[in-house]
Amino acid sequence: MKGLEKIIICRCEEVDLEEIRQTVSQYGSSARETKLRTRAGMGYCGGRICRPMLDAILKKIMGDKPQDQIPLKIQPPVRPVTLARLGDGLHHDD
Amino acid sequence: MHDVLIIGAGPAGLAAAIACREWELNVLVIDEFPQPGGRLLGQLHQEPSGRWWNGIDEARNLLDKANDLDTKIRCGVSAYHIEKVDHGFKVHTNQGVYEATNLLIATGAAESAVPIPGWTLPGVISIGAAQVMTNVYRVRVGHKGIIVGVNVLSVAIARELQLAGVEVHSMALPALNLVNEEHGHPKKVMDRLLPIAHLAPSAWVRLGRYFARGTWARNLAVRFYPRQGVKIWGIPIHLRKAVTKINGNDQVESVTVCDITPDGDLIPGTEQTISVDFVCIAGGLYPLAELAAVLGCPFRYIEELGGYVPVHNEQMETPLDGLFVAGNITGIENAKVARAQGTLAGLSIVKRMGQVTGELEEMIDDAKERVQREREEAIIQFHPGIQQGRIKMEAVYKKICTT
Amino acid sequence: MMTNRIVNHPVLGKLEERKVIQFTFDGKQFSGCEGDTVASALWANGVKKLRVHEESGQPRGLYCNIGHCFECRVTVNGQPGVRACLTKIEENMVIESGKQLPTPLKTKGPGDHLPRTYAEYATKAETSEEENSRA
Ligand SMILES: Cc1cc2nc3c(=O)[nH]c(=O)nc-3n(C[C@H](O)[C@H](O)[C@H](O)COP(=O)(O)OP(=O)(O)OC[C@H]3O[C@@H](n4cnc5c(N)ncnc54)[C@H](O)[C@@H]3O)c2cc1C
Ligand code: FES
Ligand code: FES
Repeated sequence: MKGLEKIIICRCEEVDLEEIRQTVSQYGSSARETKLRTRAGMGYCGGRICRPMLDAILKKIMGDKPQDQIPLKIQPPVRPVTLARLGDGLHHDD
Repeated sequence: MHDVLIIGAGPAGLAAAIACREWELNVLVIDEFPQPGGRLLGQLHQEPSGRWWNGIDEARNLLDKANDLDTKIRCGVSAYHIEKVDHGFKVHTNQGVYEATNLLIATGAAESAVPIPGWTLPGVISIGAAQVMTNVYRVRVGHKGIIVGVNVLSVAIARELQLAGVEVHSMALPALNLVNEEHGHPKKVMDRLLPIAHLAPSAWVRLGRYFARGTWARNLAVRFYPRQGVKIWGIPIHLRKAVTKINGNDQVESVTVCDITPDGDLIPGTEQTISVDFVCIAGGLYPLAELAAVLGCPFRYIEELGGYVPVHNEQMETPLDGLFVAGNITGIENAKVARAQGTLAGLSIVKRMGQVTGELEEMIDDAKERVQREREEAIIQFHPGIQQGRIKMEAVYKKICTT
Repeated sequence: MMTNRIVNHPVLGKLEERKVIQFTFDGKQFSGCEGDTVASALWANGVKKLRVHEESGQPRGLYCNIGHCFECRVTVNGQPGVRACLTKIEENMVIESGKQLPTPLKTKGPGDHLPRTYAEYATKAETSEEENSRA
């Protein structure tokens, strides 16, 4: 079956280890840049599954010491929402 | 406007809610899971005394107490964004917006993965998923499976699967790659198991024999680790075999396993195919702290706590006025510690709401002691260095809040 | 009825009788028990594949069982993107698996501006601003 030899890191966007490794090596890219270039971490789950692995890869290749800011910046929404939901602004006052 | 909104109805969130309700604060607890209890639901281990720790019962006890105090708990509510507003917080959820003066984030932990080829196939689930399927929904995850990743949680859950009549063929390491090092290197795995081996609730004793202190002895232990594995409860635990890939068309059909050297390198020619109908991936836990991150709470990476943790002090306060954290979001520990932290956070919130009585101060001191005691007595210890981690965090908080 | 149920458990005891609930998955009739989620009811029936990856078509199913990974998303009574592991099963629920999308959404490289979620939209807006200011 196609693709099964690959080690998928980002399940949501189907980005594999080799792709990330190459991107980091080729561009010497930061966590943020790697994420934008490969889309790893930008999927449905918001990086919840792949973020620790992406951190580990960057640490390994770039020798990045874990920094105190979360390297793969987290942005709202932390759960996917429809744009309709964002707009409706149902308010609870209880 | 609530006095306090609590995100997460695990042991930390529920204990905090109880503490706040005892002081009659207006509390709302939200959780996206269909039932309250968090990851207590599904926990099942035997304590050295022989007593079973049953998370479902523990969750029910907390819930009963919360209900006696008329605590509002809403399940199926998923928080996706939080804003800091004047005098409080606005929490955006799939069920609308909630406002509160104080916010406690008690979202617990998430699992880390050890990726190997084929791990996206249906039938490959995280070890925690297997725990919940087995003990909460009472559904057998399969007939015969293998667990990839050997750590305190996966060994405990292997036992749970076995109790439910599921055959665990064996536990083995993930094949070493750029991401798996902590979990795929036999010596590192042994180093992490070593500090818990002495806790040895019954069956651990057997495994403990193979764990030796000191680098030299450890290397020897790894070198001479039995090829057939060491059995706990009859389940072979392999530190010298790795799963190199998971095979199947529409779902898992088999795994490929290979012998490895003491440094985790594959030994060619030793590949073996084992047919299984499920695979569990076990890469440990990390604090689920994204909601604190969107609020702009400062973070620190502290290995002993399990990764990135929002900065907080012993009273569970963060540098953001009105924002509190408790439970596994502050570092990976067991449910008893999380529950004790929850009580402490609840009392700290009561204090912030203007209660100044000797009684409250006493309760806060007791709650702090309780956290410490639970930590010291922990049978399931995820990170051996947890105490040092806590000390580091306290120092960070002091530094941030005095500058 | 369902062979994957753990009826007797040495510590947790015997499973109490629960109401049986009927539902369909991709048009096929199944039954689950009260208290089940869509994910647990399907698993109990031996259904592990819940969707295919929207772009590659690779099969996917439950992974975390607690709402973190979104791998279990299915369409429930017409609403897409629902997490099967967080959704309680209800009588006559109509559940459909996630399908491959006809047009590939993913095109890699610069100039790729097809946000799918609000998060992507926000990130994209920010990056293009940055790129503009760099230029
Ligand atoms: C899969 C798994 C298995 C575990 N098994 C064990 C075990 O066997 N033994 C043990 O001692 N410890 C175990 N743990 C550790 C566990 O984290 C602690 O024992 C304890 O449950 C932590 O309590 P808590 O209250 O901090 O968080 P949790 O118990 O995890 O509760 C957090 C709650 O927050 C909710 N939540 C998270 N994000 C959101 C959001 N955005 N919106 C709404 N709700 C949200 C979750 O649904 C969850 O119910 C496990 C952890 C995990 C993740
Ligand atoms: S696994 Fe990478 S975004 Fe979900
Ligand atoms: S299985 Fe992970 S969200 Fe449902």
